[in-house]
Amino acid sequence: MRPGQVRANVKPVQPPFSPVLLLGMALKPVRPALLQPVFDGVLKMLRRRHPDILDRMADYASKPVCIDPVDLPFVILLDPNPDDPRLTVRREIDPQEVAATIHGPLEVLLALAEGKVDGDALFFTRRLVIEGDTEVVVALRNAIDGAGIDLINDISAELGPLARPFRTCASAAVDLLGRIQDDIETLRTALIAPAVKDSNAQNARISQLETELKTLRKAARRGGVA
Amino acid sequence: MTTAQPAPAPLTRPELVCPAGTPAALKSAIDAGADTVYVGFRDETNARNFPGLNFNRRELAEGIEYAHSKGAKVLVAVNTFPRAGHPEIWHKAVADCDALKADAVILADIGLIDHAARHHPNLRLHLSVQAAASNPDAIRFYAERYGIKRVVLPRVLTVQEIAEVNARIAPIETEVFVFGGLCVMAEGRCALSSYATGQSPNINGACSPASDVRYTETSEGITSELGGFTINKFAHTEPAGYPTLCKGRFIANEKSSYLFEEPTSLNTLAILPDLIRAGVTAFKIEGRQRGRAYVSAVVRAFREGVDAVMAGKGLPDIDLDRITEGGKQTTGAYEKAWR
Repeated sequence: MRPGQVRANVKPVQPPFSPVLLLGMALKPVRPALLQPVFDGVLKMLRRRHPDILDRMADYASKPVCIDPVDLPFVILLDPNPDDPRLTVRREIDPQEVAATIHGPLEVLLALAEGKVDGDALFFTRRLVIEGDTEVVVALRNAIDGAGIDLINDISAELGPLARPFRTCASAAVDLLGRIQDDIETLRTALIAPAVKDSNAQNARISQLETELKTLRKAARRGGVA
Repeated sequence: MTTAQPAPAPLTRPELVCPAGTPAALKSAIDAGADTVYVGFRDETNARNFPGLNFNRRELAEGIEYAHSKGAKVLVAVNTFPRAGHPEIWHKAVADCDALKADAVILADIGLIDHAARHHPNLRLHLSVQAAASNPDAIRFYAERYGIKRVVLPRVLTVQEIAEVNARIAPIETEVFVFGGLCVMAEGRCALSSYATGQSPNINGACSPASDVRYTETSEGITSELGGFTINKFAHTEPAGYPTLCKGRFIANEKSSYLFEEPTSLNTLAILPDLIRAGVTAFKIEGRQRGRAYVSAVVRAFREGVDAVMAGKGLPDIDLDRITEGGKQTTGAYEKAWR
C-alpha cells in the first residue's frame, strides 16, 4: 500500500444514513470541477481569517492530505504549502499524491473543523479513520482546532452587506437539515425494525447458550457428568 | 454529659487548572470556567511537543493578556529535561515566561530549577509531575532550596496519603490530576517511547511521537504501530486508545492482554469532596494535546463539580464517557481499587 493508503472503492468508515448521503447521491452526476469555485472561496476565506493554520502547518508544506467525506461522491485534496496552498475537489485521488487520508462523514468533519467535537474522541470511537502519515494529520487537526473556525461567522464576515441574509439562510438551512435528519432517522428505524427484532432474539439465544456452556464447563471441571 | 464535636475545618476552594494546546483552547478553557490555564511553547521544552500544537511568544503574550483580563492565570510548562550541554532553549523559555509575566513556570529538571531560582527570583516556580516528588522530604527540599511554591503530585498516592503529605508540607501547595490520560506511574522516568522510537518524552517532549505512529485498517479492525512495532489491534467494534507502548497489548503465556495498563482515563468527579478535604490547592485536568471540545466539556464538568461541593450540594451526574480513552474511566491510585 502506498503512503496515503487510499484504496479505490473502500470506505473504512460506513456512511451514516443522513441528508448528506442523499445529497451525495444527487451530486454523483456533477463534475467536481463545477464545485471547485466553492472550495477556492473557502480557501481564500480561511487564508484571510485564519492565517495561523498554514503557519502551524509550515513543517508539512510538502505533505498533501486527502480529506474523504465518506457520504459524498468526491474527495478533497489539501495542499498546505504556505506559498501556494490549494484545496482541490476530485472524484478520486491517486495514492501517490498524498501523505495521509482522513475518512469521516461530512457532518463529523465539519464539527471537527469548528472544534465542536474532539478529534481523539472521534478516533477512539472509530467515527474518524486516518491512514498514512500520522504526523501530518495530527498537525492539521491541531492547526484547525487552534484556529477557532466558525464557518457561518467566517463566511458572513466575507460577505459584507450580504452577511445578514446569508446568516438567515444558513440558520434556516441548519434547521431544515435537522428536521430532515429526524425524518430520515424515523424512516431508518422503521426499515430496520424487523431485522433488529431478529437480531435481539438471536442475541438472547446466544446469551442463553453461553450460560449453558458455562454451566457445562464448570460441571466438567468438577469431574461431574454434564 | 456529651462532649461537643469540633466543627469541621472550612473547605478551601481548589483552583481549577486546565490545559490549552492552542490560543483557541485557552479561550475555551477560560470561558468554560478555568481559574488557571497551563500551556507550553512550540518546541521541545515541554512534555507535549506535538505537531501543530502549542504557543509561540506572541500567542503566549496575547493568551496571558486575555486570561488576566478575565481574572484567570497562565502557567507555562517548561517541564522537559535539558539536553546535556545545551540548556539554552530551556533557559530562554524561562526568561521569556518571566518577561511575558506568566503567573508561574512548571519545571522538572533540578538544574533548570536552580537556574530559574537564581536568575528569575520574582518568577513563581511550580514543580512538575515529571520531577516525581512524592514525599514530604523531597517536596520540602525543593521548596527550601529553590523556593518552589507548588508541587504537582505524581499519580501514585492515595487520597489519604495526599492528605498526610499536605499536613506535613504546609504552606507548600499541592496540585493533583483530576481527569485525563494516565501514565504508568513513573513520571519523568519512562523510557518505553524512547526504546521504540529514539525520541524521549522527557527530553524531546513527545511520548509516542506521531511521526513514528502508523494505523492500518484491515478486514479485522485497526492495527497500531509505534516505531515499527505492532502494539495493538482493535476490532471494528472495540474502542481504540492512544498508540503508546504502555497501553499496548502483548502476548504472554499465550494470552494477549494489557501488561502495563488498559486504555482508560482518570476521572475523579465522584471523589472530588475527598480530594478537597485532603487539602489540595489545585485540581489539574490533563490534555493539552486534546481539542477545544474536550477542554470545554471537561472544564465545565469540573467547574460544576467543584462549585457543587463548595456549595454543599450533591455531585452532578455528568457523563464524560464519550471523551475518555478506550471509553473507560478510573480513579487510579487515588483509590487503588485493584488492591
